[in-house]
Amino acid sequence: MKQNYEQTFETDTLLILAPEKLSFSRDASGFLNLEYGSEKYERVTLTRLVPYMDTEKYISVNYNKEHDEWTEIGVIADIALLPERQAETVREYLSFKYYIPIITKINKITDNRMGYLFLEAETTAGEKKIAVNDWWHNFKVISGTSLSVTDADGNRYSVPEIEKLDKASLKKLQLFI
Amino acid sequence: MNLKLSYPKGVSESDVCFALPFDIDKKASSASGHLTATREVIRVYMDDLLCKEYRIEDISEIEVQQLVGCSMLCARDNSGRWECVCAFSQKYFLRYAEVAKILDYYIKTGIFTENSDEDEPTCPRCGARLKGGSECMFCRSKKGVFIKMIKRLKPYRALFIMSLISTFILYAADVIGPMLQRVLIDELIVPKNENWALFLKVSLCILSINLATIVFRVLQSYGNTKISTAYGRDLRRDIFNKTQELSMSNVAKRTPGELINRVSSDAGVLQDFVTRQGKDMIFQIVALIALLIIMFVTNWRLALIVVIPLPLAAYLSFKSFNIISIRYGRVWRFRCKASELLHDVLHGIRVVKNYGNEDREIKAYETASKNQAEATKNADIIWFLVQPPIRYLFSIGEYCALLFGGLMILGDSMQLGELVQFTAYVYMLYGPIQWLTMLPRVLANTFVSAGKVFEVLEERNDVSDREGAKDVEIEGNISFDNVYFGYKAYNPVLKGVSLDIKKGEMIGIVGHSGAGKSTLINLIMRLYEPTGGTITIDGTDIRDISQDSLRSQVGVVLQETFLFNGTVLDNIRYAKPDATFEEVVQAAKIANCHDFIVRMPEGYNTTVGERGYSISGGERQRIAIARAILHDPKVLILDEATASLDTQTEKMIQDALGKLISGRTTIAIAHRLSTLANADRLIVLDHGRVAEIGSHAELLAKKGIYYNLVMAQRQTAKLAPAKAE
Repeated sequence: MKQNYEQTFETDTLLILAPEKLSFSRDASGFLNLEYGSEKYERVTLTRLVPYMDTEKYISVNYNKEHDEWTEIGVIADIALLPERQAETVREYLSFKYYIPIITKINKITDNRMGYLFLEAETTAGEKKIAVNDWWHNFKVISGTSLSVTDADGNRYSVPEIEKLDKASLKKLQLFI
Repeated sequence: MNLKLSYPKGVSESDVCFALPFDIDKKASSASGHLTATREVIRVYMDDLLCKEYRIEDISEIEVQQLVGCSMLCARDNSGRWECVCAFSQKYFLRYAEVAKILDYYIKTGIFTENSDEDEPTCPRCGARLKGGSECMFCRSKKGVFIKMIKRLKPYRALFIMSLISTFILYAADVIGPMLQRVLIDELIVPKNENWALFLKVSLCILSINLATIVFRVLQSYGNTKISTAYGRDLRRDIFNKTQELSMSNVAKRTPGELINRVSSDAGVLQDFVTRQGKDMIFQIVALIALLIIMFVTNWRLALIVVIPLPLAAYLSFKSFNIISIRYGRVWRFRCKASELLHDVLHGIRVVKNYGNEDREIKAYETASKNQAEATKNADIIWFLVQPPIRYLFSIGEYCALLFGGLMILGDSMQLGELVQFTAYVYMLYGPIQWLTMLPRVLANTFVSAGKVFEVLEERNDVSDREGAKDVEIEGNISFDNVYFGYKAYNPVLKGVSLDIKKGEMIGIVGHSGAGKSTLINLIMRLYEPTGGTITIDGTDIRDISQDSLRSQVGVVLQETFLFNGTVLDNIRYAKPDATFEEVVQAAKIANCHDFIVRMPEGYNTTVGERGYSISGGERQRIAIARAILHDPKVLILDEATASLDTQTEKMIQDALGKLISGRTTIAIAHRLSTLANADRLIVLDHGRVAEIGSHAELLAKKGIYYNLVMAQRQTAKLAPAKAE
């Protein structure tokens, strides 16, 4: 009976994957495949477990087993621990899955007093005019440090560290957060 | 929906069925590409160059997958291998979802629908999505909203006109006051004229005006109060009625909090505008014009001197109001955050105490309070810095009037009484001007609320009775014929479900979480409308049966039983308000809840619900069953009715249910498969499709999904005691 208990306990532990055993490849289909030791997994997905706290650490690696049963293979503790090319593949996949351009500069914010907030901002995906509806919910500070913005179409933007924005942007932003 | 948005070079409209641009490549960089599709082939272009082709005959499934911030169109080939066809930002999501839906349907059925009528309504002017509303938030005509608000005043127009006239008369009395003062000063006081007859006349006039003022003030207040309460009552009633009439899919678009806000807060804003600010607006504009005319007629030179600084003062006041209102908006948000935190902590005070986290919560609340105080301080500082100079600018006119008026008196071109009258008017002029500078903000707030209120009032009901829908006596034969449904049309939950349930049969529905079990019963109750296929009851299309008639014959017991604030009696009687006490007790006895009700000192009059007597989950469930028994439904739906209960309570409830289901068509959903031991047939749903149908023994012998589910549960049951040891 004790053995059973230990077995159950074992599966409850966070399974950190050994970086040297991981071998990701992205084929022409656009999906990610993985070889982990002697095991091969097709169409694996990666999930940032703490996307607002750290985009590089605690990356869950999972796939759908038979009957589409979601199964976690394990967790990458830190992308930086992976060999360079592996890390690049993982980062590339994650930047695709989490397509969230970063706002680098805020040129203008206006509240149209009809429930919409308009941002004219420079982002890592170029200059954008972002319309945010119901901005109480879609323009919010997470954990006191980062800003998450979801526009009227559902596109996402973020400011990972609000305090690191330039003074003029910060001044404009502070009136609305 | 326009599914031919733009074409790659060399491709024209007649060549393709669909042509959409995409803007992200597979490495998450900005890209410029196109996807075109015909009945034979899907082509992907990058920078106008063909880079990939997919033959439709090689594809078995096609769907859109939503990621975080972008989405992709995926296709599965005949060998079962998935491939990402292209990726795009969310602005194209609905169009790609529509293309995927049409192509997927074509691949599976061979029927090609060029463009479905499943259209996401967009604003005809700017193209923005309407998101369930009837008008665009950007382009909504303010005039239209204003007219709708005024139209609702129609039943009270006599009162409104009376109130408005009273307001004008009261203002006229204010204007006449300085005129009489002028007569007193210029005709009697300054020349020391002992004309007692004139003095008496003027005094009587002042007295009569004061008396008339009292009468009209009463009339004004009466009118205001009456209109205000009636207008608010009608509006809240209409919004509430509409929320009750709307289908579940309409209601589910908004959170309960949002709807509560629309019924209470937004309706309040409209009520306030129509009965106070709206009336004030008419009044202030007329008063301003009237005063200016009187001032110019009295002394045009002095009037001109007074008026010159006013546009600048009004402009600055309006601008400062914008600056200040943003800051007070921030204060409001911090106040809401602090109050949310307070609500959260007090609501979960037990958890806070269990984990000894009082200090942490105290600190969190302190921070929230500090933020609110800081924001208030900043807003107040701006207010106190900006307001005095503006007030000074406004009052410059008054000083100028005194200075130039004084000079005119010295030059004998004006009399003292005239100056007193004039300065009184100057003072009265500031009220309307300052009020009008705040008007844009008032109007903006009102239009936001009006927009939200009319959005609900004018919303089209997704599930409404067909013309000629009848009340039908149901027997209980239910058929699904190739039924498709998705809470979002592009993401089907049920895919081509066909099944027949016979009258009096007990059917168990099993499957993994998200397989579509609850969706299936939601469709039987017609809480939602299928996107494809038909559901019939006794051969009649469910849409031809009136919703009232259908729901009055379908009984439901859910996992989460909701008891309204009220007595046990009220809660059981909810299903049949005219039930006699004897009928209620009989239902309670069948449901095995009479005994525990009797043990409570107030029996059937014990208050239960949110603020009532605390009863256990099993007891609540049995009250719900009693409610369903009293309802006497022809079709009974049990959605995880015993899932959250311990084995002993479950046994009692199973007994109660056993009595309830006899002779009725019963459809039961249960994760705990042992609960469905009595089912005549089991339907196994897998990813929205019917995977297996048969009795418990048949399905076990088949060794398919059901067999795996049973084995998995047996394994868990074995592990549980082991873990306990």
